[in-house]
Amino acid sequence: MIVQLLVTGIALGSMYGLVALGYHITWVTSRTMNFSQGHAVMAGAVVAFAFYVGLGWPLWAAVLATLVILAALGIGLERVAVRPFFRVASPAWLLSTIACGIIAENVAMLTFGKDARAFPSALTQKPILVGGAGFYAQELLIPVVGLFLMGGVQLFYHRTAYGKQLKAVAYNPEAAGLMGIHIPRAVMCAYGLSALLAGIAGVLLAPVLNVAATMGTIIGLKAFAVAIIGGLNSAPGIMVAGLGYGLVESFVAGYLSTGAREIIGFALVILVLVVRPWGLLGSRPARRV
Amino acid sequence: MTWVAWGCLAAAAGSLPLFTANTYYLYVATSVGLLTIVTSGLNVLVGFTGQMSLGHAGFYAIGAYAAAILTTRAGWSAWAAILVAILVAALVGAGVAGAALRVTGPYLAMVTIAFGIIVESLLVEWVSVTGGPGGIFNIPKPSLHAFYWVIMGGAAVSLWLVANLRRSAWGRAFLAVKGSDVAAESLGLSAYYVRIMAFTVSAGFAGAAGGLFTLLNGYVSPDSFTLQTSILFLLALLFGGEGRVAGPVAGSIALTLLPEFLTSLADFRLILYGSLLMCSIYWLPTGVIGALTRRGDSDSGRGGDRDSDRDRDSAGDGDSDRDSDRDRDGDRDNGGGVPLLQVEKASLAFGGVAALSEVTLTVPARGIQAVIGPNGAGKTTLLNALSGFYVPDSGGIRLREVPVAGRPPYAIARLGVARTFQTAQVFGDLSVTENVAVGVAGPRLGSVVAALVGAPWTRAAEARLRRRALALLAEAGLTEWAERPANALPAGLRRRLEIVRALARRPRLLLLDEPAAGLAPAEIAELDAYLARLRDTGGPAVVLVEHHMDLVMAVSDHITVLDYGRVIASGTPEVVRTNPAVIEAYLGASE
Amino acid sequence: MRRITLLLLVLAIGCVLPLASQAGEPIKIGLTAAVSGGSAASGEAIKKGLQIAMDEINAKGLLGGRKLELVIRDDEGNPAKGVTIARELVEREKAVAIFGGLHTTVALAQVPVWHELRTPYMGVWAAGTEITRNGKSPNFVFRVSANDDYVDKFLVRYAADTLKKSKPGLLLENTAWGQSNEAGLNKYLGQKTIKPVGTEKFNWNDPDMSPQLLRLKNAGADHVILVGNAPEAAQVVKSRAKIGWEIPMVSHWGVSGGRFAELTGDLSDGVVFFQTYSFFGKQNERGQYVLKALKDKYGVKGPEEIIAPVGVANAYDGLHLVAVAIEQAGATDGVKLRDALENLKAEHKGLIKTYKRPFTPDQHDALTDEDYVLVVWKGGQIVPVAMK
Repeated sequence: MIVQLLVTGIALGSMYGLVALGYHITWVTSRTMNFSQGHAVMAGAVVAFAFYVGLGWPLWAAVLATLVILAALGIGLERVAVRPFFRVASPAWLLSTIACGIIAENVAMLTFGKDARAFPSALTQKPILVGGAGFYAQELLIPVVGLFLMGGVQLFYHRTAYGKQLKAVAYNPEAAGLMGIHIPRAVMCAYGLSALLAGIAGVLLAPVLNVAATMGTIIGLKAFAVAIIGGLNSAPGIMVAGLGYGLVESFVAGYLSTGAREIIGFALVILVLVVRPWGLLGSRPARRV
Repeated sequence: MTWVAWGCLAAAAGSLPLFTANTYYLYVATSVGLLTIVTSGLNVLVGFTGQMSLGHAGFYAIGAYAAAILTTRAGWSAWAAILVAILVAALVGAGVAGAALRVTGPYLAMVTIAFGIIVESLLVEWVSVTGGPGGIFNIPKPSLHAFYWVIMGGAAVSLWLVANLRRSAWGRAFLAVKGSDVAAESLGLSAYYVRIMAFTVSAGFAGAAGGLFTLLNGYVSPDSFTLQTSILFLLALLFGGEGRVAGPVAGSIALTLLPEFLTSLADFRLILYGSLLMCSIYWLPTGVIGALTRRGDSDSGRGGDRDSDRDRDSAGDGDSDRDSDRDRDGDRDNGGGVPLLQVEKASLAFGGVAALSEVTLTVPARGIQAVIGPNGAGKTTLLNALSGFYVPDSGGIRLREVPVAGRPPYAIARLGVARTFQTAQVFGDLSVTENVAVGVAGPRLGSVVAALVGAPWTRAAEARLRRRALALLAEAGLTEWAERPANALPAGLRRRLEIVRALARRPRLLLLDEPAAGLAPAEIAELDAYLARLRDTGGPAVVLVEHHMDLVMAVSDHITVLDYGRVIASGTPEVVRTNPAVIEAYLGASE
Repeated sequence: MRRITLLLLVLAIGCVLPLASQAGEPIKIGLTAAVSGGSAASGEAIKKGLQIAMDEINAKGLLGGRKLELVIRDDEGNPAKGVTIARELVEREKAVAIFGGLHTTVALAQVPVWHELRTPYMGVWAAGTEITRNGKSPNFVFRVSANDDYVDKFLVRYAADTLKKSKPGLLLENTAWGQSNEAGLNKYLGQKTIKPVGTEKFNWNDPDMSPQLLRLKNAGADHVILVGNAPEAAQVVKSRAKIGWEIPMVSHWGVSGGRFAELTGDLSDGVVFFQTYSFFGKQNERGQYVLKALKDKYGVKGPEEIIAPVGVANAYDGLHLVAVAIEQAGATDGVKLRDALENLKAEHKGLIKTYKRPFTPDQHDALTDEDYVLVVWKGGQIVPVAMK
């Protein structure tokens, strides 16, 4: 049982972390985020399904097409729903991204259909049995890819010049702008990257979860929780929080009940924020007096 | 003008049952009514206090289930059940607020979301109490036609309560915390506590609406209280226009009727709904009411239109002067012996950079002390430490022998310290008079329930507050701006307002942070005369941080010079002016 | 001032315009169902069934050539919305009978409304027992569908008498539907002095039910009784394969509600469940007609492509019964229609069965466990199973 729960927990947790990174990336560059990030996950799964199952493309081509489309969607979202409100101290971007999510889900329902579909994958055909526990190879692939990508994002921010520029925008947009960093483009890239990560998560999860127009909401919500408790401005914090949350969920569902899972999971979120208000590894925004 | 609009609305609501027995329309109207109640409460939290909540469906649920359980299991009457629903929701609201309001922005949003989801899950899991996913059915309910009036009445009462609240000291406190929580703290208000109160009030409203929901429908089940519901509440408020009393009504009408108009569109309905929301966010950023009312015609300054003429006439009369005389005498007795403020070797570093290094300073109970130094010398840091916004790493600050280092800003403010800020922090949404009124009242806000119902004793207190505020405005020459919103003031007058507001606290110590910045020479001369007058007529001790040397030399009794966080000179203006270390620090500059 | 007046005018017109639209010649039939959200596929099935029956009926028309018209409203699975829609359909659209009942909670919330507005309601999906057994008299709620009470009796009979298993593990979805079945299953198991070794729950969109299955396994279950919809049931079956636990699985009809076979591949084989009707195998005349209509109108090539077939079948028969009742009553008035439904004189050869006085004052479910069909998934097809 423990092995079972560990595998499930780490798999799901790494996906929460990956999607949560999307919140982090856009927050850090623009102090805004796509509140419907979960719908981007759904879009990833749905678009991949359309190419792979619908059009019969080979898997690698379908995935590639999905990534391109998701990045484009992210950039489009930023244009339409975020840029008009960027740096205006209003929660309008929150609502506009929510509205976009509503539209996205229902467009998916119209085009993709209302029922859940299977995403065929060689890695979910036969379970691997170890002791009394069984899991699909896909469930092992997920955390590997997830951690790899999360590490990649960290490297990007800390080692590449452009990545450091993006971080600078977060600290001080005016100064960054004066240093020649093109802020609107930085924000646009952030949104594109964020949607891309969500899309990858969608593709990875599709064989395990089945593809449905409604699959995104709860994932987006839990990823948001992970982003918050990890600390919105701390990528390592988010990675840790993602894995932690996935494991907690898995073990609570395993040893207590699925009903308790949401209650304990979200109660833990509140607890973490009471003890560390800016997330486990996040930092308090400086108060200007 | 607005009375006409309210009248039309009331007439429409009142006459609907007379025009049609169609229960569909009546039911939709009651849905509008319920949403109005919830969003009115949410307005107090979001509109007035500038916070956020995506979990109010949780309080709605608590109210609804409390009413359901009490009427079915315990056989209570509907009215008693609703009352308990309000109290329970408010209590839980206070608890949640305590946890949630230590953070802001998306962190706050997450705590409220988590709360909402926990409530929803508990409703499903705690089968013995809540009936589980199936909910509680067959709750005895009055007929729709009768209950229509109850709900419409409830909506009207909610709007009335919020309007009362807006005109009260609590309402001003909410808006003050929203406008500038830093300034609010400097006037003795605990921003945390004020926000908790706003949250509690909004939770109570949601609980009331929940109880009414139960009695309207005769059933409750968890699917009515989801995250979607919370989002709908917030959307309705923001669409209608937060911060305006009428906002909730407009938003509730729009977001209830809109889906009804779209019902025949089945599959495309939600897409259209989302698109319309996007358009409205784009083109109506301040909501429907914001777009309809001309700029400057906002709710600010409406607090007391009727009384303004009467008050202006009585502004110079007895009451307020007598109070301030009494105070000055008291202080005169005390002056001379004990120093008012004693700073001993205060040090403060920000990540390796020493902003203050063993600063020692003594401020007597009378007179004007200036603190000067080149840019980055630590002058504002010192003021922030004195007023509690920064905590020194070592050393002590004593106010009349009482150590105060480490106390929160509002506590220090309540001990008689007032201040102004480098950028004038006026409460933009409030009128000029209301700004001063916040100062006059300080932390003395009275009971929030009394504020909600507009109790007679709060009205009397309000009248006194207004008289004092107007008197102070008259003294400062700001009377013609009295009813204008504070953000309409030009920069120089904003600073003056800030000073008047600070003085309204009758402080013992007034800290001024670069009051002359950006002023024209004539205005600086006025400021000079004003400060001198303050000192000579028994006003508070003043610590003045300034760059303008003429002003400093002319008006100060004592000057302390800082450089790189250290005190490099201290003494009368003549002594300091010729001190070589000072001259060197400024590189011989004398503006 | 002008702008506010304009706004008030717009609002006023908006409220008056709908009042102006009149109900004309066509007889309106309302449908309240979740057309969006997680259960939307089943809502679609009901729509198809109604539409096919409606086209058939409209060939001749009712009450001297009047045509039926379908008015659909989305209740989003939300009881409050369901109540609003109920009132809208009757009061504004002037529908004479309403079909619906995807979600048990929505249907239960609407029950008082049908009685207040005196309009008959025909449930064609939600199986919650109290929907039809609601204690109202006269009862305006009818149903051509499963009734959880009968279903549980049926499933228990199969598990205990046919399979001869005595240690059931219950695996139920954590909703009102699951809750209703928990009560029914415990009742009928109790009648056979059987106690479940464990009762586990899962939520919608849950990806993995291995913990629950492991717990049931460790408690010694020798068969699992499942109540869930297709996506979750698919995950249950996949989890069962994951942990390598080969035991019989008996299910409510949820496993026909979506693309269960597609979602599970060959893992679906052996899952036994029941239907009110199956489009697989030999069809009677009506069945052939419906299959053809599904193909012509909706491009459905064969029975394996029908999503939620019970929805189609129940709705089809339900509308025909209502049409017969309208003709018998000679009117569309709600009370008369209700009385006619409760006292149908003519025998009606429907799709699911031949209805002889399907509704009586004490019985508002047209189908009982006598009418249910036990079936099993086999190679992507639904095949009947004998019940001894």
